[in-house]
Amino acid sequence: MSSFDDAFDPTRRLHRGGCSCGAHASQAAHEAELSADQQIERVVQGGVMRALFPRDATRRAFLRAVGAPAAMAAISQLLPLGTISDALAQGAKPEKTDLKVGFIPITCATPIIMAAPMGYYSKQGLNVEVVKTAGWAVIRDKTLNKEYDAAHMLSPMPLAISLGIGSNAVPYTIPAIENINGQAITLAVKHKDRRDPKTWKGMKFAVPFDFSMHNYLLRYYLAENGIDPDTDVQIRSVPPPDMVANLRAENIDGFLGPDPINQRAVFDGVGFIHVLSRELWDGHPCCAFAASKSFITEMPNTYGALLRAIIEATAFASKAENRKQVAEAIAPANYLNQPLTVIEQALTGTYADGLGNIRRVPNRVDFDPFPWESFAVWIMTQMKRWGQLKTDVDYAAVAKQVFLATDAAKLMTEAGLTPPTATSKTFFVMGREFDPAKADAYLASFPIKRAG
Amino acid sequence: MADERFISIEGIARRYPAPGGSTTVFENLWLGIPRGEFVCMIGHSGCGKTTVLNVLAGLDAVSDGEVIVDGKPIDGPSLDRAVIFQSHALLPWRSVLGNVAFAVTSRWPKASRVEVEKRARAAIALVGLAGSEHKRPAELSGGMKQRVGIARALSIEPKILLMDEPFSALDALTRGTLQDEVRRICLSTGQTSFMITHDVDEAIYLADRIVLMTNGPQACVAEIVENPLPKDRARTGLHHAPGYYALRNHLIDFLVTRSASFRDAKPEGYDQRHPPLIRPTLNDTPRQAA
Amino acid sequence: MASLASFRVSPALRAGLVSLAILTVLLLAWHLATSGSGPVQAMDPEYAKLMGKTATEGKSAMPGPLDVGRTLWGHLRDPFYVKGANDKGIGIQLAYSIARVAAGYLAAVLVAVPVGFLIGMSPLMGRALNPFIQVMKPVSPLAWMPLALYTIKDSQASSIFVIFICALWPMLINTAFGVASVRKEWLNVARTLEVRTLRRALTVILPAAAPTILTGMRISIGIAWLVIVAAEMLVGGTGIGYFVWNEWNNLSIANVISSILVIGLVGMALDQLLARAQRLVTFPE
Repeated sequence: MSSFDDAFDPTRRLHRGGCSCGAHASQAAHEAELSADQQIERVVQGGVMRALFPRDATRRAFLRAVGAPAAMAAISQLLPLGTISDALAQGAKPEKTDLKVGFIPITCATPIIMAAPMGYYSKQGLNVEVVKTAGWAVIRDKTLNKEYDAAHMLSPMPLAISLGIGSNAVPYTIPAIENINGQAITLAVKHKDRRDPKTWKGMKFAVPFDFSMHNYLLRYYLAENGIDPDTDVQIRSVPPPDMVANLRAENIDGFLGPDPINQRAVFDGVGFIHVLSRELWDGHPCCAFAASKSFITEMPNTYGALLRAIIEATAFASKAENRKQVAEAIAPANYLNQPLTVIEQALTGTYADGLGNIRRVPNRVDFDPFPWESFAVWIMTQMKRWGQLKTDVDYAAVAKQVFLATDAAKLMTEAGLTPPTATSKTFFVMGREFDPAKADAYLASFPIKRAG
Repeated sequence: MADERFISIEGIARRYPAPGGSTTVFENLWLGIPRGEFVCMIGHSGCGKTTVLNVLAGLDAVSDGEVIVDGKPIDGPSLDRAVIFQSHALLPWRSVLGNVAFAVTSRWPKASRVEVEKRARAAIALVGLAGSEHKRPAELSGGMKQRVGIARALSIEPKILLMDEPFSALDALTRGTLQDEVRRICLSTGQTSFMITHDVDEAIYLADRIVLMTNGPQACVAEIVENPLPKDRARTGLHHAPGYYALRNHLIDFLVTRSASFRDAKPEGYDQRHPPLIRPTLNDTPRQAA
Repeated sequence: MASLASFRVSPALRAGLVSLAILTVLLLAWHLATSGSGPVQAMDPEYAKLMGKTATEGKSAMPGPLDVGRTLWGHLRDPFYVKGANDKGIGIQLAYSIARVAAGYLAAVLVAVPVGFLIGMSPLMGRALNPFIQVMKPVSPLAWMPLALYTIKDSQASSIFVIFICALWPMLINTAFGVASVRKEWLNVARTLEVRTLRRALTVILPAAAPTILTGMRISIGIAWLVIVAAEMLVGGTGIGYFVWNEWNNLSIANVISSILVIGLVGMALDQLLARAQRLVTFPE
């Protein structure tokens, strides 16, 4: 499940949990032994292996057949793995060192934010100012304006920007996902006995943005429970801090929001956590580190250094034992501006659920930078499903353009090789299997939808 | 003869567009004013006397004819022709000195500050306001304001002084004093002056000649009356002067009856281009028009 | 009568005393309305540790006057601290806002006054430009924000532009009106004195129209200050509007109320500044 796994280990399944080498009690302990550089290398190698062998079974068969060292050597001849790792690991001198990176004050932005106070940026020779931004539309506009060099975005946003939905089409990319899971459906306390979503007709919900995993997950959840999200309930775009206020004012009945907003609603005694997003789709992407294509092509070294800092920060944040330290770093007014306990509960997964229980869900949120292209395809099926995307697009092609599953594709092209088609995996969302190769069939299988 | 027609109004007309054609205020108006004379124009409201003054001032344009002043046709306002406005028209944000200095600077743009102030102070002193230079118009009485207006007009040493009922808004006492001032100044400087009024006594006191306008529309100069009273007449003893009542009755008769009927019953031989000149005798028998 | 006289206080003092009494009543009511009701229900202490005081102590979501006072005092005691790009003292945030308002407002003055003169002095231009003004005037300034961001491509310049556009109309309309309604007799004075156009504009029309223009400027500064807060809440980064938004993000109502008070005071100061300027150019007639 973690991108920090060794892709050349034939016994490892790349996408499942647990310690990858088996020698450690936990995956975190395993990764603690790896240096940051090794981690980078792992991420790149994993990316390349995934690119070459999109299906896990094939890769494992290949490695078993030829042996890991031989496979490493063989692939290295075709693909300068060292070069790719070098480009990200040491990075030539950045073209520009003073950077501005925008973020929205929610825990999804943890790696982007913590990289500043915890020195991940400065370690890469970068002077990054992380700028708190008022909303998703503003972060989009400021990044398109180039006031920000890169930004924290909801992972559907770069797709929407690239596709020209809701703004002019500008080629946009996600070099790294920031967090997986870490969202929740929060309901007003008065609904504590109304836990069956089938009874939710007529309720009003909030999501942070139209182009958000929150919107798609909430709609998915409702639709799976027979509630048409467009006709049976109301879903509005509401900025995260307004969610708690609206819940208190009873303007909305609940929201699928980012943390720490869910925890804040509990903290203030106005809501309870109905379901964590990982219970809908364990390992779903949420927010992303996004940059314009032109930033990457014009300043490849800066981009490399920035990405490296983010990946290292993500790796640090992914370890459970570091979460309290991370919470302390990002809670002050300069960053999230929330009570420390709220952030801690959201990050450590030991939290009050708002109904009087303390829950312990260590992977309530996790951090994993790998931008699976299949994530992008799933997002586009949902954009299409709810009528945001009105034309037919080549899902795989767009996914590859936007979700930079690995920089290998670019380097392979430079080396005169043909990059592999996609870096994807199948996954389950509320028990329904999603195979990116059969996206149209997947879309067609939904009884409740607007289009497709 | 050149002096006879220092100001020469030559066949002017003023028409305004009106629904269904145009309204003619006056037409084919002729009038000459000699240099150094004080001329009053009397007539009822609406006879166009203010229009005549505005034309002389250059503030209003004629529809026909032209006005020659000192040999040159009028082409807009000029510093040669100063106007004393009925409502004094002082700039309220400027002091007395500032208002007069504004005019002086306009007249002599290259004059030094000191010179401008000297001339302005002189003009203010001339109307008896020395000491009030730094007051604002709002701090002055109506009469004092009009004195400033007079000072402003005189400060630019105009060839002609044009006055549009300058004292009509003042109380009788103040009006009398100001009339004295104006007469004193005009006599001493030989100022060519043209004044609009509907106050018969004012005209008798101030004017060398009185121009009688018939009622409008299509007003015309009915006649020009020479003032037979002595030059050294005093305002307070005016009604004792021989010939005063004859003159006054003549003027009032005109205003009461003839100004309305004149247009339809023009006297024999009346020529608009040469309005009859009347010289009332000093005995108190009014004379009919010649 | 003598005893009454000794108790006589000036009307201003009396009004002040009444104001003070009203304030005291309001603060007291506020305090009582927001004081907590004590622990609401039996709660597992471990669980209670994870919850906020609103949930555990029945504390009102509205802060009381004492909370607000403490918060406000905290801001005023150290108004110029910098603890990172996103956390600066209220004084610095106010300075950002005032600088933006000043820039946009001065630009608006530079455009509105000459154009207003043109419109006021030329009935033709007045009639020709009137439809545009009438259409643009009622547009909410913030409606310009997306357009500005899109075309100017700079959020700082965009917020200044929004200030510019909202400050423009009252000044433009008042200048045009002031210039058009300068008394005819004053203009006639200038004409008979052969005063040329530029000097006439500066020495007669400008002072005559100044009180009206200043009225427009005073309306404009009020609107500009209203709008900057909203614009900064929208665009963020710096400024008092951002400060409010940031504290709202933290659901810190005490901070929001403190900033509201500060915004009100600064707005009043700006208004008084213009009122003083207005008194300077107003002339009695």
